[in-house]
Amino acid sequence: MSQIETFYDVMRRQGITRRSFMKYCSLTASALGLGPAFVPKIAHAMETKPRTPVIWVHGLECTCCSESFIRSAHPLAKDVVLSMISLDYDDTLMAAAGTQAEAALQDTIDKYKGNYILAVEGNPPLNEDGMFCIVGGKPFVDQLKHAAEHAKAIISWGACASYGCVQAAAPNPTRATPVHKVITDKPIIKVPGCPPIAEVMTGVITYMLTFDRLPTLDRQGRPEMFYSQRIHDKCYRRPHFDAGQFVEHWDDENARKGYCLYKMGCKGPTTYNACSTIRWNDGVSFPIQSGHGCIGCSEDGFWDQGSFYDRLTNIKQFGIEANADVIGGTAALAVGGAVAAHAAVSALKRAQQKNDARKAAAKTQSSKTRSSVDKNEDA
Amino acid sequence: MSEARLVVGPFNRVEGDLEVHLDVTEGQVASARVTAPLFRGFEQMLEGKDPRDALTVTPRICGICSISQSAAAARALGAAAGMEPTPQGAAMAALIHAVENASDHLIHFNLFFMPDFTRPAYAGQPWHRRVVDRFTAGQGGAVRAAVEARAQLMHILGLMAGKWPHTLAIQPGGVTLAPGPREKVRIEITLRAFRRYLETTVFGGKLEDFAGIETVSSLMRWDRGDAGLFIEIAQALDLDRLGRGSGRYLSFGAYPLAEGHGFAPGLWEGGPVPFDPSAIVEDLSHAWMLGPAAHPSTGETRPDAAMRSEAYSWCKAPRLAGRPVEVGALARQVVDGHPLAQALAGGGVLARVAGRLLELARTQVLMEHLCAAIETNARFMSGPVGRIENGHGAGLVEAARGALGHWLRVEKGRIAGYQIIAPTTWNFSPRDAAGIPGPLEAALVGAPVGEGEASPVAVQHIVRSFDPCMVCTVH
Repeated sequence: MSQIETFYDVMRRQGITRRSFMKYCSLTASALGLGPAFVPKIAHAMETKPRTPVIWVHGLECTCCSESFIRSAHPLAKDVVLSMISLDYDDTLMAAAGTQAEAALQDTIDKYKGNYILAVEGNPPLNEDGMFCIVGGKPFVDQLKHAAEHAKAIISWGACASYGCVQAAAPNPTRATPVHKVITDKPIIKVPGCPPIAEVMTGVITYMLTFDRLPTLDRQGRPEMFYSQRIHDKCYRRPHFDAGQFVEHWDDENARKGYCLYKMGCKGPTTYNACSTIRWNDGVSFPIQSGHGCIGCSEDGFWDQGSFYDRLTNIKQFGIEANADVIGGTAALAVGGAVAAHAAVSALKRAQQKNDARKAAAKTQSSKTRSSVDKNEDA
Repeated sequence: MSEARLVVGPFNRVEGDLEVHLDVTEGQVASARVTAPLFRGFEQMLEGKDPRDALTVTPRICGICSISQSAAAARALGAAAGMEPTPQGAAMAALIHAVENASDHLIHFNLFFMPDFTRPAYAGQPWHRRVVDRFTAGQGGAVRAAVEARAQLMHILGLMAGKWPHTLAIQPGGVTLAPGPREKVRIEITLRAFRRYLETTVFGGKLEDFAGIETVSSLMRWDRGDAGLFIEIAQALDLDRLGRGSGRYLSFGAYPLAEGHGFAPGLWEGGPVPFDPSAIVEDLSHAWMLGPAAHPSTGETRPDAAMRSEAYSWCKAPRLAGRPVEVGALARQVVDGHPLAQALAGGGVLARVAGRLLELARTQVLMEHLCAAIETNARFMSGPVGRIENGHGAGLVEAARGALGHWLRVEKGRIAGYQIIAPTTWNFSPRDAAGIPGPLEAALVGAPVGEGEASPVAVQHIVRSFDPCMVCTVH
């Protein structure tokens, strides 16, 4: 391990100044919801810890996650994190090709056994012995299991890896299967969304690289720091919802006034994600701001819940804050079922443990995944 | 080595998975078979859904050209519902789509294509050091600049389309956001910055000067910017002779506006010839698919689970009047009548890549026009798409990589049939029943394979010159 460079080494080698480095640390701290007191801690960790190798593999997918990732707002985040990743293995972005690429994957696995993070984009299709997705002559599911065997943790990027996404839509012709149903013996962090927001992706990966542990997860395995609130909770059109002012048709007068899109089928009230706070494409906007309702792409099963343009039913309006979690649950049940039950329970629990969780994010790890990760922490 | 068989793949820096099987004789590719080893089954999933859901589902075929998919779905849906976008709605949809296409061209050149010339095999070349500096994967100066410039350009997508990838803003009647003066100014500023980047970094000169080139010889004299570096390499390696095309090009026409297409539709075979969309047939003889060869409006997608041995790809083989056609930026520029593109017609790697650079320059000019013509008080949506009970329609658009078609059939308010032909389905199609190879398979014949080369560099250049998108291909 001692020959592995630190993050800071990697950055210095790329000509990044001390000043930009500190700026990156403070941006990271704020993106992760940590106070300024954590800036020196992050800096210290990045100066002293050997960088965590990352292997990034692609199954049945559309590469939208990589696409999102490389457009993260802070140039350092994407340069540094991206270059650390491409140092190891990523078959869309790396330079090597063919068997050379396959060898690079094996080398990385051998060299960093038990220490690397496996980032999975897409998922394995299991029908016909996995023949619908072949990498290097073998089913992707084999590559996935092989790479997962010695990984210390797995990140499931996006709705595909986390839940299956549209390619798993009925009748799920290829039996596209989320990662956690194939790999059951490793800690898995789900970062859903189609794709996830770039800053969420860099935030999660930086957290793991910096602190060498998993972020606090909710019951569905999503990082709480980004998935603990509904789009609806922080939606800038929320006052119009509360006031009962709705868009009735595309481009009607109400649409121009920026009224609430709930009647146009917006799934913001049942969707846990950070779109309405972090926003998209460098914080420029998000779907609701562009006049189209949320489709709930970070929720399990969003692709098979009736039409995307059917409105949610049974949602209450006033007093919603008083029982937000219950409302979240009921509303989702109308469209979804099992998802909602999860969401409601985890939301309630979260409300109770909120303060503890925040501390836990930085200091102790309450999740049971801790032990398996920390074993390697000081190796 | 007189005869050998090679399997090249997986290809990195290609969107999705791809394998190429080569028969090599006397140091040259004698025949090639292109295999798409991935299948997802989107067409099956769409059946039975509310037709409007195609707007959300089909973009997720691809995270790189998701807007093209959504534009095609919106057009198909509009055709089935008998509605048209408003003129300003169509113009904004065109702008959104053009941003994605320009971004794709930029990424192809900088991240997917040029890094191949950094290989140690070229270490003796006078330009090698410069290419390494500019295009080393993940670190080269040009690579970083391109990723940055693209992220900036895509602010337009954030602004107008909410998010990218997987935008929801394009609807059959237009776009969901009516841009106000604020949006218009921000788009203008973003485009100005993008022009500055293109002119200083990519072209090293005025866009109008590059777009004004009419002959191959003046193209070969362009020595500025990264484009100039590419021309120098193309000359040194004779890239025009590498992977030559059939010279038969198809374009569905890009950016349909009230006053006509931004880039015209049509078919080219040494000159413009009439194009009849009803002559498109998808041949399944060498694909792991069941059913008869059919026009996409009546076609079906039934994977052959037995993966019968005479087939070798999940990709169908679309043919126009029984013949393969090449699609892409070069095809579009040839069909649109640009003199340089027409002079390059039938060419190989140089022609395809130069066609893309030419289109990048012209697209920027087009986007500036679209932005200047925004009328902030106009209507941007003609009306809601109601429920469609019965109907059918086609959405024919141009993605960055070429002609993209969606064919939709609705019965009793539900999707009864949905067929998609993506650009790479045309270019990377397997053989048809008559044994005629697809465009890439044909272009690979004759490519040099060096002694002991397991992954021949010439093959890499040819494959990447098409800018394949395998996930779209096999949807």
